[in-house]
Order: sequence, then structure tokens, then C-alpha cells
Amino acid sequence: MILTPEVLAIFILNTIFAFFGIIAFYLSVRIYLNWDLSSTSKAQYRLEKQSYLAATIIKFIFIIKVPLFLFFVFTLDKISNVLTGAMCGAGVVDATDTGTALFVLKIINLYIFAYWIALHNEDIKHENQPFLKQKFAFFIIAFFLFMAELIIEGVMFGSIEIDKMVSCCGTLYSSTSTSAISSIFALETSLLLSMFYGIFLLIVVFYFLKSRYLFAISNALFVPISLITLIVFFGTYIYELPSHHCPFCFLQSDYYFVGYLIYTLLFLGTFYGLVVGFVESKKEDKLKSYKMSLIFNSLYVILLTSFVVIYFIRNGVWL
Amino acid sequence: MRNKINFYLMEYAINAILRQRYKNIFIATTLTFLIFLLTSIFFITNSIKYELNSTVDALPEIVVQKIKAGRHYDIDTYATEEILAITGVVDAVARVWGYYYFENAGVNFSIVGVDEFEAQYKESLKRVVETSNLMNAQESSMVAGVGVKETMEMNYYKDYFNFIKPDGTLKRVNLVGVFDGDTQLESNDMIVMSKADVREIFDISQTKATDIVVKVSNPDEVATIASKIKLIFPDSRIITKNDLNISYQNIFDYKSGIFLALFVVSLFTFFIIIYDKASGLSSEEKREIGILKAIGWRIDDVLKEKFYEGFIISFFSYMIGVILAVGFVYIFQAPLLQNIFTGYSQLKTSFELPFIFDVQTLFLVFFLSVPVYIAATIIPSWKIATLDADEVIR
Amino acid sequence: MIELKNVTKSYEINKNNIVVALNNVSMKIEEGELVVIKGASGSGKSSVLSLIAALSKPTTGEIIVDAKQISKLPDNFASEYRRDNIGFVFQKYNLITTLSVKENILLPLVPLNPDALDADAKLHRVMEMFKISHKKDAIIKNLSGGEQQRVAIARANVNDPKIIIADEPTANLDEKLSLHFIEMLRELKKLNKTIVIATHDPLFFNLDIVDREIEMHNGVVI
Repeated sequence: MILTPEVLAIFILNTIFAFFGIIAFYLSVRIYLNWDLSSTSKAQYRLEKQSYLAATIIKFIFIIKVPLFLFFVFTLDKISNVLTGAMCGAGVVDATDTGTALFVLKIINLYIFAYWIALHNEDIKHENQPFLKQKFAFFIIAFFLFMAELIIEGVMFGSIEIDKMVSCCGTLYSSTSTSAISSIFALETSLLLSMFYGIFLLIVVFYFLKSRYLFAISNALFVPISLITLIVFFGTYIYELPSHHCPFCFLQSDYYFVGYLIYTLLFLGTFYGLVVGFVESKKEDKLKSYKMSLIFNSLYVILLTSFVVIYFIRNGVWL
Repeated sequence: MRNKINFYLMEYAINAILRQRYKNIFIATTLTFLIFLLTSIFFITNSIKYELNSTVDALPEIVVQKIKAGRHYDIDTYATEEILAITGVVDAVARVWGYYYFENAGVNFSIVGVDEFEAQYKESLKRVVETSNLMNAQESSMVAGVGVKETMEMNYYKDYFNFIKPDGTLKRVNLVGVFDGDTQLESNDMIVMSKADVREIFDISQTKATDIVVKVSNPDEVATIASKIKLIFPDSRIITKNDLNISYQNIFDYKSGIFLALFVVSLFTFFIIIYDKASGLSSEEKREIGILKAIGWRIDDVLKEKFYEGFIISFFSYMIGVILAVGFVYIFQAPLLQNIFTGYSQLKTSFELPFIFDVQTLFLVFFLSVPVYIAATIIPSWKIATLDADEVIR
Repeated sequence: MIELKNVTKSYEINKNNIVVALNNVSMKIEEGELVVIKGASGSGKSSVLSLIAALSKPTTGEIIVDAKQISKLPDNFASEYRRDNIGFVFQKYNLITTLSVKENILLPLVPLNPDALDADAKLHRVMEMFKISHKKDAIIKNLSGGEQQRVAIARANVNDPKIIIADEPTANLDEKLSLHFIEMLRELKKLNKTIVIATHDPLFFNLDIVDREIEMHNGVVI
């Protein structure tokens, strides 16, 4: 069990999240079952008021969740100092069975909450609130994922043993290890890179064609391929070391915290792309989302490619 | 998500806060105090950790102790020969030292033995050997830290001290100098004298030593060498620098953990108070919200305004609390609080807390205060925002 | 332009006690009309105003303003409608006494985060119109009754609404201030605003600027 002040802070906030999340869940269920906009009864009127509370809670959770996620990464880094063998957050994530799952779940939940807010913002633009039931139904499902994340986080921190040896990214992300992540190294780098640029090209094409669903789907595919190529290929050019594949280390000060920029661009780009597909909106809003997605995704691609190109220009060879 | 900050709203929020002056001053003061307390504790522990880490850094990479019946025992000096034979070991020195309990003052002195021709394992000891008159003296002499000297003087010992040996007889040792070690933490309670004298005071034979310190050329090899030593001497306990680092961090986390637990309790209480205060609406407040809604403010606008209020109060308290903590800990050296954490050594050490700027601590305190405060205001703000304007303004 | 169609408004005090404020009320007010709704207190005239301003919703029936059904709007739309189309003058002015004249007048615009120049233009327009410019930075509680009255009307007009609603505007005023208020109404009528006033002040009866009088009693139109 590891109980540093940082972990305790995360637990406190998680408790608050859970408390308010349950309230929002309860309200969502009631609203979903009983909402009737045409009714003038007192009950409906109360539901309308309660929908504001639910929306406020969800927005609050999301606003705190984003910086808290960064704080979570920081905390993992700090814990890595006490864990034998771990040199950065990657080792801590690997220290337990639940670490990787938690990480993935956290990222998924960020997308989910952001999507809910986008849907909500669109919904309240219309007098008849067309997405009302839909958005609360969506939250009901999201709630379970959210609670899962909180519980797994508790389990994960609870099960970290400081006297157990863990692997560092060097072994985690190499092709010879047996961790789940290593299977991606089995694929050829050139194949992965062509998929990466290929999907990005599809995004650009669908942007000009303005085909909603294809645009959204290619963005969804862009997420995993970006992360994989980041670990396998681009990361090594950031570290200028062919064996350093860690997706965490470039979040540290040694690399000018560029990791935060990289992940933010990727998140914003793909998130807006998904919004295009999954949120019904007016033309100009949709165009805005299209544009945002294209801009952020392009910046992401340019940033990563520039690391490679700059290395080549400076050194005359590839890694 | 990308709304510009509404300065009109912010101005209104500030005015609204001032309109409920006394209530908000009470809240802000309590919050500031809690943040101040928490931040001070974190600052103190960070500084002490830093001091301690510097101490640990100055220590040898490996310390070898003999364990008999689960307890620390004197180790044979010939063990140094065998350890020196291990590849990667640069030096192995037998240390003779111990704690001497000075009954009158109720404190422990650390007494460390040095020999003139031996390589010293610490810079400060090296300096002592070189600069003081310790080695030249005819009679038994010692060099002591400032804290020791003061304690002795308080007990009317000025130029010498009478140690009580295990057999009850006295050994007089002259005080020939005062020194300060690399860091203040350790120099205060330390006395340096010749190994022979230390052996006499503690009755340790010539062939024995308290422990053996091992110097290793490559720090990455420490673990390997430690295991090799363990193979040669199965009854030994090997303490590496890394182990010390980890255990210190754990002790501090434990101690600050206790305070954090107390903090959680007070935070919870505070949460309830805030909730209560925020919910209690004077008729004046209700009327104001009614007016706002009547002139066209939406529920979302009122909520936003309430959020601005909450954020302003909590962030303001956060900044003041942190600044006060900086002043309290680093300028006034944290009276009272400091003792809770430095009480690990018997001799009351007084040293200066170094200024450590740790961004993570600031974020930590932020997360423990601002979001919690805002969370406490969510439901009260919503209740206010959804008041029926109609009934209120009749 | 403003139409109430078979509107009933009832309040449930508790399970056994239901108060019917309006009972199947219908009325029509044309654009540019100045209509006075008269009746004793409890006759339902305040409820009518409140419904027109979308401050409350009818139990049954419809309210249509400018061909738009406003009776069932969700809160944020109702508030937006109110903000853009209604200028409400309250009996007790309902100004925030610790703020200045300027701040009170701009209050409806605050959530919009308006462009500073734009806000300033609107501010000066109404301050000029109601002759309160010279007291721009004065705090409300230091103003005389008449000055406060002008601030209240100025605030109601800052967004240039089409409809002005006043609930017992002269109930707390002496004759001089009441007449003064009527003068300001005259100005507003010149601007072709639709004005609905609920009052039982006889000063308004047989007034030249009043186009029509509607009498109410116990929740019905007589």
C-alpha cells in the first residue's frame, strides 16, 4: 500500500467525484424515465431544474479531471522514486496488474466526458432540447465506466508494493519482453508509419469531402495508430535514442514537457473529429469542429515529423 | 470550453462577495488558515527531506553491520580485508563509533573515532583530522559540534569532559576544537576523537569495530557488491544508500500522512460548514437573484457567477495561505511546527530550513483546497440559481 | 402582438389548497399599444405581467408574443427572450443599492460579456434618454426617489426592448414623481414601444396616452 500525500489527495478528490457522480447518476435516471417537455406539471418543472444540477456536476468533474490527470501522471513519476527499478511513471504503471487498464480507462473517460459536454452544449442551443434523453442515457452508461475508473484507481494504488521490483520502460517497450505492449513491436515500423500517414491523409480527404461519419471514424482510428507510432518510432527521435520508447519520459522537464503538447494536440484533434460524427449540430458549428480537428491533427503530425526531420538534418542519418 | 473570461461577471462576482462581507471573510479566513497549515507542513517536510538527502548523499554507499540474534553486534575488523578483495570495491574502512548517553542533560552524543593515517570516508572528518589539533595532542582529546559544546557548558564542562566508562571509571577527554559538519543536522550532536579513545569509552576491543563502510567505484554496482558481501558474511546486514533514501522518504510520507489524515477530517468539517453557509440565504440575497433573473439572467449565468465567486474566494485564500506559509516556514523558521518533525534526534537540533521550491507541492495543496471548496458550493449555488424569480420579486 | 389564449394559472400551496390566480383569461395587445390592466390586488394582474415576461409558465393555455409561443420555453430560452424583448419596471425598483447607476443599468448585459464600446453606447443612450447621465457613478442608495426611478426605467430600456412592463409603478410615489413617471412613459410611447401597466392608481385612468384599459377581478377579465 502506498500512501503518499499525493495519492491521498487523489483519493480525496475521487471520493468527492464519486459522491457527486452518484447524485448525477440518480438524477439522470429520473430524468431519463420521466422527462416530458410538453408537460406543465410541478414534477416536470422540478426535473428541468435538476437537469441543470446534473449538467453542472458533470462539467465540474470534467474540469477538475483534466488537470487531475496530469497530476496523476506527476504522482506516478514521484512514486517511481520509491519503487525499485522504476525510473519513470511507466514502471509504476507496470507495477500492478491494473495499471495499464487504469491508464487506458482514464483516457477513454476523458473523451467520454468531453463528448457529453459537447453534446450538452449542442442540446441547449435548441428550444426543444432534442438530445436531452440521449445525453442522460449516455451519462448513465458513462457513469459505470467512471466508477470503474475510481475503483480501479483505488485498487491500483493500494496494491503497489514498494519492495517488489518492477520493470522500467527499457524492458517494457522492447520487442523481447512479454508485456502486452511489446506485441506492437512485432509489426514492421514502415507498415505502422504508412498506416499513420495514411490515416492522416484520409482525415484530410474526408475533411474536403465533408463526409461526417468517415471523418469521425478515421479520427477514431487515428488515436491508436498515433499512440503506437509515437511509442515505436517518433518517441525515439524525441529522445534521440533508438531504444528509448517510453511514452512518459518526454513529459518531464528534461524534454521541456513537450509530451503535454503532443498529447493535448492529439486529444483535441481527435476529439473534435469525433464530435463531427457524433454530435448533430448546425452547419457553422460543424464546420468549426471540422476545422479544429484538422488543425490540431495537422499540428500533431507536423510536430512529430519535425523531430524526425530535424534529427536527420542535424546528423545526416536516421536513427 | 473556450469562453473568454467575462470581466463584467467577475466584477459583479467580486462585488457580490463584498456585499456578504462578514460571511465571506469568515470563510476565507478559515480556508486560508487550513491552506497555510497544510502548506507549511509540506514545506517543512520538503526542506527536512532535502537536508536529510544531503546527509545521506554524504554517507558511504554501503554500510556492513554484523547481526547476532537479530541485534546489531560489533563486527571483526579483518572483514575489511575480505571485502577489499571484491572487484569494484575502492575502499573498506572499519568504523568505531557509538552513542554516549549524557545523563545530566538527558541527551545522546554521537562519538566518532578517527585514525590519522586512514582514509576518511567523509569530507568533514577529513577536514577535522587535517585542521584540528586532534592528532597532535598528547592526552585524549576531542573535537565537538556546536550543540555538544553548548550542552557541555550548560552542565559546567568547559575545556574537557568526563566520560563514564562501562566499568564505572571516568575518562577525561580534552575539548580542543569545535566544528561544523557538512550539514547542520549531523554536526550538532557529534564528537570526534581518536579511535583508541572511542574504543576505551565504549569498551570495544582492538579486533572489533562498530561497522564497516565500503566505497564503491561505480554506484550502479552497489547492489551486486552488496549481495557479494552478504555471501561472504551471511550474518551481516548490508545497508545501501538507496535503502536509506527510500526509508527516509517513507518516514516522511508517514509523518506527513498523519497530518494529512487530520487535514482530511478538518476538510470534511469545512466542507459541511461551507455547504451550510452557502445554503443559508438571506432574503436580501434571494431578492437579488430574483432581480437578476427578472432582468434576463439565465440559470447558467447565475451558476457561472456563483462559480466565479467560489473560485475567487478559494483561489485568493490559496494564494494568501501559501504566501503566509512561505513567510512562516522560511523567514520565521516555523516555530512549534518544526519540532514535530525534527524530534527524531535526542539533541534538539536547531538548523535553518533551506528554501525548496517544489511545484508539485503547490499543485498538491491547490487540488486539496480549490476543487474541494467549489464542490461544496455546487449544490447551494444550484439551489440559488433555480429559485423562482416570480415568487421572489412580488 | 401579445396574445393570451385561454390562460389558467394556479398555484398549489399544499395538497388541499389551490389558488387560482388566472381563470381562462384571454387578451390581445397590439404593437405600440399602451394598455393599463386595472383591478384590486389579487385580481391576477401581476400574474398576467409575469406570464408575458415569461417569468412563470401557465398551467394551461398559451402565450404568444410576436407569433412565438413563449409559454413553454426552457429556462435559458425564456431568460433570453426576457432579456432581449422585455423591460420590466418593478414597484420597488429592485435596484442593487450598493452598486452605482452605471453598474445597475448595465446589469442585464453582464452575462453577455459585451464589447466595451457597444455596452458604453447602450449605456449612454438610455442615460441620456432618462436624464441620469450626470449621476453615472453615484451609488444608488445615495440617490433620491426620483433619480432611482429613472435608473430603474433606464435599466429596463438598456437592451432596447419592444415591450415595457410595469407592475404598480406609482404605488410608492407621491404625485409629483408619479406624473414624472407618466412623462417618461410618454417618451417611450413615442418610440412605438408596447407598454403594459398593472396599476390601481387613478392617475392612469382616462390618461391620454393610454390606448385601452383592461379590468380584472378575481382572475378573470371583466
